[in-house]
Amino acid sequence: MGSDEAYNFVFKVVLIGESGVGKSNLLSRFTKNEFNHDSRTTIGVEFSTRTIQLKSLIIKAQIWDTAGLERYRAITSAYYRGAVGALLVYDITKHLTYESVERWLKELYDHADPHIVVMLVGNKTDLGSERSVPTEDAKDFAEKNGLLFLETSALESTNVETAFQNVLGEIHRKVSSKEVTRGSISAVSLSSPVPRAAGDPEEKKPCCRNL
Amino acid sequence: MCVHVIFSLLNTFLSILYLPEICTTLFHHVHFPSRFLNLFSRKPKEPKPPSQNAPGWRLFGKVPLRENTTKDPKDSFTIQQEYQVKVGPAPGPQVQLSAARRKNLEFEPLSTTALILEDRPPNLPAKSVEEAMRHKQEYDEMVAGARRRELKEAQKKRRQMKERFKQEDSIANAMVIWNNDVLPNWDCMRNTRRVRELWWQGLPPSVRGRVWSLAIGNELNITPELFEIFLSRAKERWKSFSETSSENEIEGRYHDRESSLDLIKLDISRTFPSLFIFQKGGPYHDLLRSVLGAYTCYRPDVGYVQGMSFIAAVLILNLEEAEAFIAFANLLNKPCQMAFFRVDHDLMLKYFAAFEVFFEENLPRLFNHFQINNLTPDLYLIDWIFTLYSKSLPLDVACRVWDVFCRDGEECLFRTGLGILRLYQEVLLQMDFIHMAQFLTRLPDDMAADNLFSCITATQMLSSNRKWGQVFSALMKDGSKEIANHSPAPRS
Repeated sequence: MGSDEAYNFVFKVVLIGESGVGKSNLLSRFTKNEFNHDSRTTIGVEFSTRTIQLKSLIIKAQIWDTAGLERYRAITSAYYRGAVGALLVYDITKHLTYESVERWLKELYDHADPHIVVMLVGNKTDLGSERSVPTEDAKDFAEKNGLLFLETSALESTNVETAFQNVLGEIHRKVSSKEVTRGSISAVSLSSPVPRAAGDPEEKKPCCRNL
Repeated sequence: MCVHVIFSLLNTFLSILYLPEICTTLFHHVHFPSRFLNLFSRKPKEPKPPSQNAPGWRLFGKVPLRENTTKDPKDSFTIQQEYQVKVGPAPGPQVQLSAARRKNLEFEPLSTTALILEDRPPNLPAKSVEEAMRHKQEYDEMVAGARRRELKEAQKKRRQMKERFKQEDSIANAMVIWNNDVLPNWDCMRNTRRVRELWWQGLPPSVRGRVWSLAIGNELNITPELFEIFLSRAKERWKSFSETSSENEIEGRYHDRESSLDLIKLDISRTFPSLFIFQKGGPYHDLLRSVLGAYTCYRPDVGYVQGMSFIAAVLILNLEEAEAFIAFANLLNKPCQMAFFRVDHDLMLKYFAAFEVFFEENLPRLFNHFQINNLTPDLYLIDWIFTLYSKSLPLDVACRVWDVFCRDGEECLFRTGLGILRLYQEVLLQMDFIHMAQFLTRLPDDMAADNLFSCITATQMLSSNRKWGQVFSALMKDGSKEIANHSPAPRS
């Protein structure tokens, strides 16, 4: 199962942010084009994958959807290890979920690769009338902290695809600037040197056991 | 010649296309009206008078009644009976039976859905004997095949019904035993072999709540009055909370916010959403909120932690409000649950380590596969243990796991986990890391309780003669050494 899929890279991406901001729905919108008004609470971590084509490369996104509860952070922070991308999600109608972004960011940098690509995602733009986080504020914050930024609506399927695509594209840009050869089957890591260059550029094999 | 071949094919095609059941039902007494015949033949002809031997199209439809051959549509014939009517001499009383039944039929079925060609229309050359024989043989084979299928189907249905009756019977019997023998003599009977075996079969839903309550106990000595006190405190907090609104809370009170009623509100709608009973406006919405709210007032040091809503919901489905609260508070007070809900990371790792000891013992091949793929137990066990399987398993299966959990304690939770792994061992062995992780955090929703329970039965909770409790306490004494080995963190 899945082992016969061909791809050039596997990128591990984590979804983080407060409880109830819509992480699981962003993920199900991206991987299955589904939205649940009453999705179940995520306990611990759940997983999903989607393979996308980026230029001539096939990239498999391995997405870890973590529980947002503060108390769980002791556990979930362990899941950041090996992640090369993160979507830090807040709810544009709940200012508290935005206020905690800084704490999430710190948590992320404490445990993840320092070169991790992070996108700040303001979700639930479909509830525009209840907005309590101005777009400009979040945009400024993202710029100051070197984060990508987008506002999305998992419900209306606005910008969800773009958000993930941009993150994956940016990861790819970082990876290739480090001169990872096309077709490399090494585990993708942004900080450490590439363990081995690919001998055969045509080779497409499952990889990333060690993410 | 060409027309001949085409019709021969059409004939076979039609007899294959239409269900033999229908074919047999009306084969002999329905004839094709001329206006339909027109559709098929270019030169319309006068319809021939009905006769068994007359060649031509025969259609099921509105036709004049014929003696003894009309059929009540309400009267369902089996293929077998119909077949015997058609084919004729078959031994046994069934022929007579069906023939006798036929005589009582008053209505001609109005089915026009089927069409069959026995002989060719009169304007076409007749079938050769050989061809007619072949068609007859093909037809007979189809009828026989359909008959076999129907028999098989009927047998299966009978078996299922029998199984269901048996189940209902055993539930009814068990209910009597629980009510009359076990519950009145709880203390002296609960650990007898007979009761333990009965318990393993699954508790009858009508006594489930009571047995759970008794088995969980009330070490905390919570009374219904105490519950009311905490409930009214929760309601007060709720009121002041909605007045001040969550926006005004200050950073420093973050932990408070988390345990606050806001999160409970958020989670209630995300608890068994498919049941539509805990959501806002649903019948159990307020109950669930009350139990969870009262608990955060009763144990502010623990507060509300995600996963609790599932446990409270399962209890509410089986117990009255105050009883559910008492069971809830006592259940969460058990060492394993306390370790998890306080997110005592070190202690949780001990539980995972103990789990892995039995995992390796029971399923060495899969254990090895998990190790190679760096799939650590925290990835799936957290969800399973936090919600006592109520989120991951179908609810009826989860309730049976709870039955055994009430009987055997925390060991059952880990044994169930190994049962699940055993059940899906072959599938999992074919998967890579991400697919296994995905599979285990979203188990198939068609899991049958019996399959899981036979896998749980096959799981021995013995490792070099040590039981779960012994292995666990050995790990506790071992200290940091084990933690280092079993930490979920290092993945690279």
